[in-house]
Amino acid sequence: MATTTATVSISSSDLQPGNTLSLNASSTIMQTGLTTGLELLDMGVGHLKEDSARDALAEATGTADTANWVYICNNATDDTFYIKVGIHETVIGNLGAGDWMWMPWNMGDSVAELNIEAEPTGVTIPYEYAIFKSTNTLPAST
Amino acid sequence: MATTTATLSVSSNVMTYPVTINKSMSMMKFQSCHGLEETSGLRTKKFTTTAATVVVEQDEFTSTKAAKVYMRNTSSDKAHFFYVAKHASAAAADTDAETIGRLHGGDWMLIPYLADVNITVAASSTDPVVLEYMVFGE
Repeated sequence: MATTTATVSISSSDLQPGNTLSLNASSTIMQTGLTTGLELLDMGVGHLKEDSARDALAEATGTADTANWVYICNNATDDTFYIKVGIHETVIGNLGAGDWMWMPWNMGDSVAELNIEAEPTGVTIPYEYAIFKSTNTLPAST
Repeated sequence: MATTTATLSVSSNVMTYPVTINKSMSMMKFQSCHGLEETSGLRTKKFTTTAATVVVEQDEFTSTKAAKVYMRNTSSDKAHFFYVAKHASAAAADTDAETIGRLHGGDWMLIPYLADVNITVAASSTDPVVLEYMVFGE
């Protein structure tokens, strides 16, 4: 069984005056069946160019309503470059330069694709990603 | 200007070679090199129903500014999970395009948040489960 562990540390000494922030969490991510680790992984790097529309980073081709995890990092160094991240028509948030995200994705239905879009107009943004999946169905050949 | 740092470490043996991800980021204002200065504070909420509940209200923050949401299901039982969704008030259904995903016992997430719609959660059972969450904003 594959074992994938994700750990986060969030800290700040001055966000809450007089109260140092230190959050730590760690989780071993599992398939929806809960006893088996995720055994499928897509990962890669790319350059995202703004062409006035969002692009699907991944289609929801696995079994609906399952446990899947998404890592995306915006590797831009220009503070004004950001990646708009969404699921189908819902924008989750804007991933700024140097930012990463770690998000569950249950592939709620067949159109719950994972979208990314470079902003502002005309920019090209280097990014990297990894998607740990419970299931996957390869597209039919043409 | 506040400095808030978040560090991610992922390790996996899903491949035949080790997969590791190590990244650190400073949480910045939108299109800026200045750090986020506001927070909801760390909140914990105990759920004993499966009804969807708004945990982050969009009007606490501004959709044209940067925000991030940290959440953790504090349960030690993987069977107990929350659906997390971007929705004004409705249930975070299992098959709904606005549903982001499942947060099983012990799972955590850190995502950017466009504050145009509330964030709701719905527990998977009536067994008591505690959600820990915090929003960082401009």
